[in-house]
Amino acid sequence: MKGLVAKPPWPGSAAAAGLASCHVCDRVAPVAERHCPRCGAHLHTRKKESIQRTMALLVASMIAYVPANMMPIMVVEQLGGGTEANTIIGGVITFWEMHAYPVAITIFVASVIIPILKMIALLWLCAAAGGWVRIDGRRLTRIYWLTEVVGRWSMVDVFVVAVMVTLIQLGNLMVIHPGPAALAFAGVVVLTMLAAMSFEPRLLWDRAKAGRKQLRKAREGEE
Amino acid sequence: MSGGAGCGNGDEVKHLEAWPRVEREQLAVCHFCDALHEAPAVEEGTAVVCSNCGSALYRNQPASLDRAVAFGMAALLLMVVAQGFPFISLSANGMVSGMTLTGASLSLAREGSHLLAAGVAFCTMIAPSALAAGLVYVCLPLRWGKAWPGARGVALWLYRLEPWAMVEVFFLGAVVSLLKLVKLADVSIGVAFWALGAVMFCLAAAIAGIDRRELWDRLEVALQK
Ligand SMILES: [Zn+2]
Ligand SMILES: [Zn+2]
Repeated sequence: MKGLVAKPPWPGSAAAAGLASCHVCDRVAPVAERHCPRCGAHLHTRKKESIQRTMALLVASMIAYVPANMMPIMVVEQLGGGTEANTIIGGVITFWEMHAYPVAITIFVASVIIPILKMIALLWLCAAAGGWVRIDGRRLTRIYWLTEVVGRWSMVDVFVVAVMVTLIQLGNLMVIHPGPAALAFAGVVVLTMLAAMSFEPRLLWDRAKAGRKQLRKAREGEE
Repeated sequence: MSGGAGCGNGDEVKHLEAWPRVEREQLAVCHFCDALHEAPAVEEGTAVVCSNCGSALYRNQPASLDRAVAFGMAALLLMVVAQGFPFISLSANGMVSGMTLTGASLSLAREGSHLLAAGVAFCTMIAPSALAAGLVYVCLPLRWGKAWPGARGVALWLYRLEPWAMVEVFFLGAVVSLLKLVKLADVSIGVAFWALGAVMFCLAAAIAGIDRRELWDRLEVALQK
């Protein structure tokens, strides 16, 4: 696809001009109108209280992450034998020992690495947007994009539980029940997705711009 | 504004021009860095990018309406196939157990995990089907420059629903489960498995087929008539 670089009608952000683009239909309208004249969605230059909301959802997801890892995600009931409760990490270790490496790695990446990286990334983004960490807007924007795209894949373990519970109903052999961690883990994924959605990436560029302005002022002061 | 004639007799005319737009000052704002830009009408196969951060502002996809409608309809049909046929079946020691897509949610509900069952049903069946149906409902009449009743509301909900349609993630989950089960029993893959794989592809192609700015610009023109 050919690329065409758009021309700014005048330099500066849309917010400075009192304009906002609709998050649903992309129509640009004055923020003062409050609702998009085209699709009726709520208009805002910056998502309201973005950092607070993102942090609240992030903290909730971190809390849910504890039972998601401590409690069993699947309970295997060997009829005639005992029952065996599997945690997420326990499952990964079992499959590693069984030499089922693709399964072990997929579950480890989707259930452990992605959620943790996503939480760290969102924490970092909030810190950067709040001005506590120095930032490079372009790189952070890319990280934000990554959290939005990759986060959903964590849900894979919940679906694995759904499939296993349904399939392993082999009467006299064994039965699999979903454990409490399945719901907790689904909660973690949904909460981090909501956290990413309530984050406002444009806050990062506001910071970057403010930083450049300050730097310029400081330099002018020196001269 | 150019391109108004292109959509009426779309069968003969090659869509090499811009999509129809309502006449006003056309602006675009970068969703990442908030830089304000003029939004020129572009011909098919052109993406307009932000001058500040380089991310795409919008793009004119070739044959966008046809693609959205065709892939959307295909996704819906395949979804029906995926519901009606076995997904995976498993046999061990003479016992056979099968599974359908609906069965996955139902068995979770039977185990008492109603919330989880509802979530799985929503992400794997309800959201993807609604997404495909909504896209067809909006885009099909747009081919003739028309809008069916409630099209504005449908389009509004389309984009809110999008992140929650997780067919591809469920598909990966099914593959992982298969790899787990191969060691335990004889596993056979059913028609629904391939159907769902195709749903995954069609849904992604349908959504990527039309830029939302184009969809809304066309819808706005249609609603003004
Ligand atoms: Zn709008
Ligand atoms: Zn930009």
